[in-house]
Amino acid sequence: MSEPVIELRGLQHRYDTDLVLRDVDLKIARGEIFGFLGHNGAGKTTAMNILTTLLTPTGGTATICGYDVVTDRRHVTRQIGYLPADVRMYGHLTAAENLEFLAKLSGVTDARTAARETLDYLGCADLAKRRVGTFSTGMRQRIGIAQAIVHRPQVLFLDEPTSGLDPMGVRQLRETVQQLNRDLGMTVFMNTHQLSEVSKVCTTIGVLNHGELIYNDSIEATLRRFPDEASLEDIYVRVGELAP
Amino acid sequence: MITTIASQQSQLLRRQHVTLVGLATMLAVTAMAGILGWSSHHTIVRVFDEAVRLQAAAGQPAPANPFLLKPNLSLLSNMVVYIPLIGSLLALVVGHLALVEDQGQATGRLLFTRQVTRSQYVLGKILACTRFLAVTMAACALVSVAALVVVNRALSASDVGRLAGFYVLSWAYLTVFALVGMLTALLARRRSLALLSAMGVWLVITFVVPQFTSGLRPTQSLNPLTEPVGTSQAFFRATQRAQPLSIVEQYKTVSGTILGTAPNPTTGDTLLAIVPIVSAAILLTLLVLWKVQHHDYARSVTDE
Repeated sequence: MSEPVIELRGLQHRYDTDLVLRDVDLKIARGEIFGFLGHNGAGKTTAMNILTTLLTPTGGTATICGYDVVTDRRHVTRQIGYLPADVRMYGHLTAAENLEFLAKLSGVTDARTAARETLDYLGCADLAKRRVGTFSTGMRQRIGIAQAIVHRPQVLFLDEPTSGLDPMGVRQLRETVQQLNRDLGMTVFMNTHQLSEVSKVCTTIGVLNHGELIYNDSIEATLRRFPDEASLEDIYVRVGELAP
Repeated sequence: MITTIASQQSQLLRRQHVTLVGLATMLAVTAMAGILGWSSHHTIVRVFDEAVRLQAAAGQPAPANPFLLKPNLSLLSNMVVYIPLIGSLLALVVGHLALVEDQGQATGRLLFTRQVTRSQYVLGKILACTRFLAVTMAACALVSVAALVVVNRALSASDVGRLAGFYVLSWAYLTVFALVGMLTALLARRRSLALLSAMGVWLVITFVVPQFTSGLRPTQSLNPLTEPVGTSQAFFRATQRAQPLSIVEQYKTVSGTILGTAPNPTTGDTLLAIVPIVSAAILLTLLVLWKVQHHDYARSVTDE
C-alpha cells in the first residue's frame, strides 16, 4: 500500500459510559474510494465526526495526510471536504453565495471564481442564483458536494450521501464521486448503507460492528475471499456472522 | 475570518428582513418618543401660559415658566423606556438568530470542518450583531436630531454630544441582550426553548430585578426624593445596595443624567452606573466564547 492518506490507530470514542468506537486501526491509501459499512449505531458517523475534526476522540489517534486531527486541526481542515448526511445550507442565500462564503472559510483567496468553477464543474451552474431554501433533496445534495469540493480538498468525506435520493439522484451521485476521484485524484471516505452502490463505486471497504472494525479489504479481494456469496449484501451478512 | 463571518451574518439578517423590520421599528419608536415629548411639553407650557394669563387678569404676578428651562434632550425621555422594552427584545432576537441557525440547520458542521476556529466564528457573529445595533442606534440618533431641530429650532454642540453619548450607552446596553440571545441559543437543546429562555432572561432583567432593587423602595414614586424614607430597615437597605445588579436601573440612571432628566446627577455616580452594563457585556462575551468551544456541533438542535 502507498503512503496512507487516512490512518486510524487504536481509535476510541466513548459517550459517557457507552464505548462506541473500540480500538479501530485502519489505513486508507491515496486515491481509494473507501466504503465504511455497518449497522445503525455501529459508530460510522462518530468515526467520521472525529476525522472531520468535529469531535475529539477519547483514545487513540487519527491522521489525515500525516496531520493529527486533534493537534493539527488547521492543517487537517485544509485537506478535507465534508458532506454531512441531510446536508443543509443557508436557505436565505443563493447557492453561489453559500459556496463563496464556505470557500472563504476554507482560505480560498478568489472565492467567487472558485464557487463559479465548482458549480460549472458539477454541471449545476443553473442553480447558482437560486436560493438554497427552495431546493429539492437532490439539488441540495449536488450543492452539498459543491461546498465539499469548492476548496479542492485531497480527502472527501461523505456521510450517507445517497439517503433520500431517487434512483436518478443516486446514479448521478455515483458518477460524481467517480469523476472527482478520477479527475481530481480525491480520496473518498464514504459512510453508507447502500451495498449496491458500494459494489459499484468503492475500491475498498471496511465493516464496523458495534464500534469494532471487523473487516477491511479491497472489493476485488473481498469478492475472491467469499466466492460463494452472490452479492455484497450476502458478504456483509457473512462477515457479520464471522465477527467474534 | 471574523469579518467574513460578520459579513455573512449581516447578509443573512438582511435576507431574513430582520434589518428592515428592526430598523423600521426603532425609527418609528424614536419618532414617537419625539412626538410624545413635544406634545406633553407643549401641553404643559400652554396650561402654564393659560394660568399666567388668568393670574394676570386677576392682577396677580406670575412666575416665569419653569418648563421652558427644561433641557432640550428631555423631550426624548420616553426613549429611556422604549430601548429597554423594545430595543432589548430586538437585540435578543438578533443574537438568537445569529447562532441558532448553525445548530438547527446543522450548518455548524460545515463551518467547523474548515479553517475557521470557534472563537473567530463567535467573534464574527458578535461583530455582526453589534454592527447592526450600532447602525440602528445611529439611525435613531439622526431621527432624534431631526425631531429636536424641528421642535427647538437649534441644537447646541453639547446637546449633540449628549445625544451621541446616550445612543452609545444604549448600544452597549442592547449588546448585553444580543449576547443573552446568543448564550441561550448555545445552552438550549431545542430551538424554540432557546428563544423562550432568552425571553425569560429578558423578563427577569427588565422587570423582576428592578422590582427587587429600586422598585421595592416605597417612596420611589415621590420623585425627586432620592433618599427613601424606609432605608433604616435592613431589608430596604439590602435591596438598595443590590441596585447595581439591575442594569435596567443603571441604564435609566445614566440616561437620565445624559438627557438631563435626573434630579441631582453627579459625574461619579454616572460613571459608576456604567460599570455594571459594561461588566455584563464582557462577562457574557466570555461565557459565549467558552460555551462555543465546548458546544457539540456534531449534533443538531431540533424544533421537536
